[in-house]
Amino acid sequence: MKPPREIVQTILQEFRGSLYRIYRSIFRGSYPATLRQQLGVVVNNLVLHVHPTRVYRRSIRPAGTLGLGLICFYLFVIEWITGVYLMFYYEPSVSAAYGRIQDLDSVVTFGRVVRNVHRWGAEAMVVFVFLHMCRVFYTGAYKPPREFNWVLGVILLLLTLALSFTGYLLPWDQLSFWAVTVGTNIASYAPVLGPKFRFLLLGGDTVGSEALLRFYTLHVIAVPTVAALLINYHIWRVIKDGGLARPPQQEPQSADGVVPTFPLVVYMELLVFVVLTVGLLVVSLLFNAPLEEEANPLQPSNPSKAPWYFLGLQELVSYSAFWGGVMVPTVLTLFLLVLPYIDRGPDGVGEWFARKRLGMIILWSLLLIGIVVTILIGVYFRGPNWNFYWPWNAWPGPD
Amino acid sequence: MDEVEKIERWVILACLLLTAILGWAAWDASTQEWEGYQESYYRLALLRANSEAQKEWVRAQPVEIKQLQPKEHRSVERCITCHLAVDNPMFRDAPEPFRAHSSLLLSHPAQRFGCVVCHGGEGRAVTTLEGHGQGNIRAKPLLRGEYMQAACYSCHGEANLSPKAVAAVVRGRQLVNRYLCLGCHQIRGVGGEEGPDLSAVGSNRSWLWLYAHLARPQAIVVGSTMPVFLLSRAEVKDITIYLMTLLDSRDRFRNTPPAAEQRTKSYQGEEPKEEAKKEKGNLPENAAAEKFRYDGGLFFHGAGCSLCHSIGNRGGEVGPALTYIGRKRKTEELERLLRDPEEVLPGGKMPQLYLNDEQIKTMAAYLSTLQ
Repeated sequence: MKPPREIVQTILQEFRGSLYRIYRSIFRGSYPATLRQQLGVVVNNLVLHVHPTRVYRRSIRPAGTLGLGLICFYLFVIEWITGVYLMFYYEPSVSAAYGRIQDLDSVVTFGRVVRNVHRWGAEAMVVFVFLHMCRVFYTGAYKPPREFNWVLGVILLLLTLALSFTGYLLPWDQLSFWAVTVGTNIASYAPVLGPKFRFLLLGGDTVGSEALLRFYTLHVIAVPTVAALLINYHIWRVIKDGGLARPPQQEPQSADGVVPTFPLVVYMELLVFVVLTVGLLVVSLLFNAPLEEEANPLQPSNPSKAPWYFLGLQELVSYSAFWGGVMVPTVLTLFLLVLPYIDRGPDGVGEWFARKRLGMIILWSLLLIGIVVTILIGVYFRGPNWNFYWPWNAWPGPD
Repeated sequence: MDEVEKIERWVILACLLLTAILGWAAWDASTQEWEGYQESYYRLALLRANSEAQKEWVRAQPVEIKQLQPKEHRSVERCITCHLAVDNPMFRDAPEPFRAHSSLLLSHPAQRFGCVVCHGGEGRAVTTLEGHGQGNIRAKPLLRGEYMQAACYSCHGEANLSPKAVAAVVRGRQLVNRYLCLGCHQIRGVGGEEGPDLSAVGSNRSWLWLYAHLARPQAIVVGSTMPVFLLSRAEVKDITIYLMTLLDSRDRFRNTPPAAEQRTKSYQGEEPKEEAKKEKGNLPENAAAEKFRYDGGLFFHGAGCSLCHSIGNRGGEVGPALTYIGRKRKTEELERLLRDPEEVLPGGKMPQLYLNDEQIKTMAAYLSTLQ
């Protein structure tokens, strides 16, 4: 008979062996220690294979991209996960929707914090997608051969706005009801097609049960599916177009300029994700997503404001429906779509604020200032009846 | 490979931070105001328990969200999550939130009617701030004191309740009549179209909103053309209570509302003196109504007339100035005009004001003195 010590050792060995077998059944290789294995794992791993095996050292400088595209992607994932959680409790009907949101805020476990993450994450996504676009512009990263990826990005910006806007209606409170009423009214200013488009979107002439159902379906399945596919395509094109943009004269000649993707870049991406999640959670624990009283079509709120990212347009609409509702958004979208096919010069690719592109940089900055200023006026300087108020002056009224 | 180690350390640090934040989120989700109330209720109940069996029962109670789903309307009410003792006779003298309900609960079983239909508030919420509708003028604040008359009246109407139980509602209705609210506002198909329809105003607005708005409309609705009526506090309260009885079909639980014609009759035929007579004896505060005399001048400036017409240099410019109207029109003409403007001045702007006979007589007499 074996001594007990040996029996224990045998059992421990068996245990370790089975743990190792489980590990090997999940990961098809051991931890990659050598350079050869590290290059191999990026090719062979499902999650990692979207990366190139090696990246240029200048591509992973934090100051190069500020990680903005990555943050947009992570926000989309976070929205997806929290959105599924909310879907378990939500019901897209006029009589039940508002009560479901109240339940999420009061009695559903983690309901309030998940709703807050979803809401603030959505607002952040609009901001970060826009910042990402500005980064790509200022570093000249849309120039050949990356023109089409810029176009995809513009479409993704529009889809982000669509996602945010369709989600805006779902709580069915006064804020969402009147914001969507105003927002879809802006759309209806377009000649001929505008009113038809509004009718199609709302399933009627006013925001009602049909509109809620349509916005819900768009928000939870139609737009996210398209966006997810395009995001994949967008990221895939980054690699296929030759990685991040860089000045042609700085092609690294030796191996010093490149670094294996695994593990450094993977860790960096993980770090961005964790920090972003922490930030979003802290904001969501400190600030609640807005919820006003239940939507009431008979009691317009005053002022009725569209979601903040459309307030620049609403501000313009208050001067001229044609310019604000039709000309500015159409011209702006067309400008964004054709930009890389007009501005084709090889100058300033992969370089922040290149002096040679001064004209384009000034043009873009003016546009940026215009957009930001009109939105700020709409958000902070407009009170009841769209009258001008300084932010420190109280509006007449109960709030 | 110190570069990788450095980033590894940052990742570990960030993950620790994330763990801490998730712990915060879990703590935040698990510490609820109502848990504190439930625990102290069960402690109190243990102290008050008379027998071992009662103590056993208390100990067996879980700390959990409790809710009612009243049979009569589709809603969920969680008031009893904190107000645990509503049906516990041993807590008759206990302080809120643990006081037992009065005997009215016997005739209004909570299983059937819930809480909100009488008390107002937001039934789904489980915090005091949200449940009691505090901190926001647009929330649904609780109905307290005389304001609860609105709830009694909404279901039972006037006929089935003692005059004292609906006194404020009746006074409010008289005031709505006296100040010519229907000249501009509609209630269930009767009245003018100048201002918003008030048929469901009790559902659309909180009583706090209505109170503040009646006291000074422009402070609540920017650019409102509603005149400031210089009402006393008691009058504002009574009108608010009456307006809170005007509910839409979602909130109305009651028997069908009186048809429009019936209502017209009751508005036009309603003599303040008769009302006062009916309630005499029960209501000392209503004695003032008996002494009430319409004063044409006050009426002109206090009710809506001066919105459109001017006397001297006070008043609006929409309608003709009435400074010398007594020279132009006879008293009988004025009476006829006030009774039905459309008949005397077809197609004119003057709205039907739904005045009662006494009001018409007083106004016509006053106007004919303007020579």
